[in-house]
Amino acid sequence: MKLHATIAESEVNLEIRREAGRVFANVDGREYELETHSTSSGVTLRTEAGKIFDCRVAGKPSSGQSVDVFVGTHRYVVTLTDPKRLRGTAASGSHADGAARILAPMPGKVVRVLVEQGAHVEAGAGMIVVEAMKMQNEMKAPKTGMVTALNVSVGTTVNGGDVLAVIE
Amino acid sequence: MFRKILIANRGEIAVRIIRACRDLNISPVAVYSEPDANALHVRLADEAHCIGPAASTESYLKISSILDAAKSAQAEAIHPGYGFLAENAHFAGAVNEAGLIFIGPTPDAMQVMGSKTSARRAAIDAGAPVVPGTTEALQSYEEAREVAQKFGYPIMLKAAAGGGGKGMREVGDETELRSALEAAQSEAASAFGDSAVYLEKVVEKPRHIEIQIFADAKGNYVHLGERECSIQRRHQKVIEECPSPLNDPDLRSRMGEAAIKIAKAVDYVGAGTVEFLFSDVTRDFYFLEMNTRLQVEHPVTELVTGFDLVREQINVAAGQPLSFSQADVHWNGHAIECRVYAEDPDNNFFPSPGRISHLRVPAGPGIRDDSGVSEGDEVSIHYDPMISKLATWGRTRAEAIDRLRRALDEYAVGGIKTTLPFFRDIVRDEEFIQAKLDTGFIPRFYERQERGTGVTPLTAHARDARATQDIAIIAAALSYADAQNTSAANHREAQSKWKMSGRRSALANSRVRSVK
Repeated sequence: MKLHATIAESEVNLEIRREAGRVFANVDGREYELETHSTSSGVTLRTEAGKIFDCRVAGKPSSGQSVDVFVGTHRYVVTLTDPKRLRGTAASGSHADGAARILAPMPGKVVRVLVEQGAHVEAGAGMIVVEAMKMQNEMKAPKTGMVTALNVSVGTTVNGGDVLAVIE
Repeated sequence: MFRKILIANRGEIAVRIIRACRDLNISPVAVYSEPDANALHVRLADEAHCIGPAASTESYLKISSILDAAKSAQAEAIHPGYGFLAENAHFAGAVNEAGLIFIGPTPDAMQVMGSKTSARRAAIDAGAPVVPGTTEALQSYEEAREVAQKFGYPIMLKAAAGGGGKGMREVGDETELRSALEAAQSEAASAFGDSAVYLEKVVEKPRHIEIQIFADAKGNYVHLGERECSIQRRHQKVIEECPSPLNDPDLRSRMGEAAIKIAKAVDYVGAGTVEFLFSDVTRDFYFLEMNTRLQVEHPVTELVTGFDLVREQINVAAGQPLSFSQADVHWNGHAIECRVYAEDPDNNFFPSPGRISHLRVPAGPGIRDDSGVSEGDEVSIHYDPMISKLATWGRTRAEAIDRLRRALDEYAVGGIKTTLPFFRDIVRDEEFIQAKLDTGFIPRFYERQERGTGVTPLTAHARDARATQDIAIIAAALSYADAQNTSAANHREAQSKWKMSGRRSALANSRVRSVK
């Protein structure tokens, strides 16, 4: 499988091939042969020299989306792009150019709504305040434009990832 | 002794109290709000009663529901833990009126210590040193200006009903006073329903040192030494130690005696903590406040003195005398505790609720983890985001830090963000290791982190950074490949099994060859 990866602002190409509990990987020309052992929460990789890497991937990676990968206590943010799926991600990307969606960063309750549907907002202006765990978080407008959708009102309970409003 | 105790709390402290009940062969009764129905403290109890919906005002703070649960469970005593109703004198009174025993001090003692101004008066009457300041709430800006002039700037404005840093403002000079006073008053009013604010002189290079005291109903008073809680973020403790790295026996006994005098002044019974400010410049100490409950950080005192404070609380509440006297109290070694929160240290400590998909808790010599969660549990948005307290013990402070570093690196929590990475950096910080502690530690720590200085070369493993990064990419790719395969796997299975077995035998052959 050939993939493209972004990690810590650098871009790499990789190719992996799995065979009976081993993985052969080529990362930008660097060759690795590793023994793989799946655990309940991740995978342990062992090099030929015997070095152990205790790895955990937070969630299921999908093409074009960043995912947290822990190697021991170290956290990396990795974005994989699958060339086979490039067309799909490009299409959803073009949608994001026109409209900016304001997502709830975590589950919580809307305590203030500072804008109205149809209003013009400047980039950086406060829009919605969500409270969770005794903390209030103000969602700011990511771009200048018009509020074309406002899906919440004061008191609405929201889940992480819910679309609170859309600016076009 | 009691047969049944109801625990009016949740999370790690409820679990901690359940453990003490088990030691004493007392049946623990849990209470829970609707989203906590399957929480760890419920699973560990003998019986559990739902006391209302998620909002704590409708459940864990609802006195009538808790008393109803206690009555239907036929509990004889109620342990309030810390937080929620633990320092609510009205609750303690209501428990007593219902014919039950409140595991804690009398409502009168709680009342006096519950207000900072009346606590200050009690401390002054007991002859304890207090920070120069007003004992009464400020009536006007003019009064504040006069008093501030008398003590000299900088001064601190504090909410009379306060705690947790709310309604608190440091004022550098007179030009800032008016707006700071107004801000402190309005913050106090919204946080505590009481806008009363008083004023204190600022202590230079302050350390937060507190004394654990214990008293029984027979008039015996002891102190269990100090805890250093100078490492604070926004006036919230994050790391606590016992003893203080100052480790000065003369200072300890002077502070201990002052704390006992204050406790005696209100006929205190049970576990309590007297907080002092200690000036690293003048080495003077001043009474700050008294917490009329078990503290979050009590494990460090337990690790060093060997006493079980919750067990002792229950014994004393049952009318027994203290199981030890002052002469029996010795301080052995050093203990340090970190409060592990479901917060993202990379995003300004923003709360990170969610499901704990993976949990590996450290163990081994000198490690104690007081946790309120297990793998698969949900960290809810409704309550305090502390998930556990990790404490380590060593013969010396250095040994305790070595073990803490090891335990923090071993600790793994998946699915949510935690403050573990923040602590991993702190235990490698030079000033922390050298015990240069005062309440300004965290801002200075951040400056050092930004400059990249002050880090001891104890970074987990001296590993090739490039190789580790490549490994991270490979792990992500494997996980991606797995996700792709699960959908397409079914129809390929028959064929691939044959292929795999062929490859396995080929691999086995190659292994044999390589051994030669």
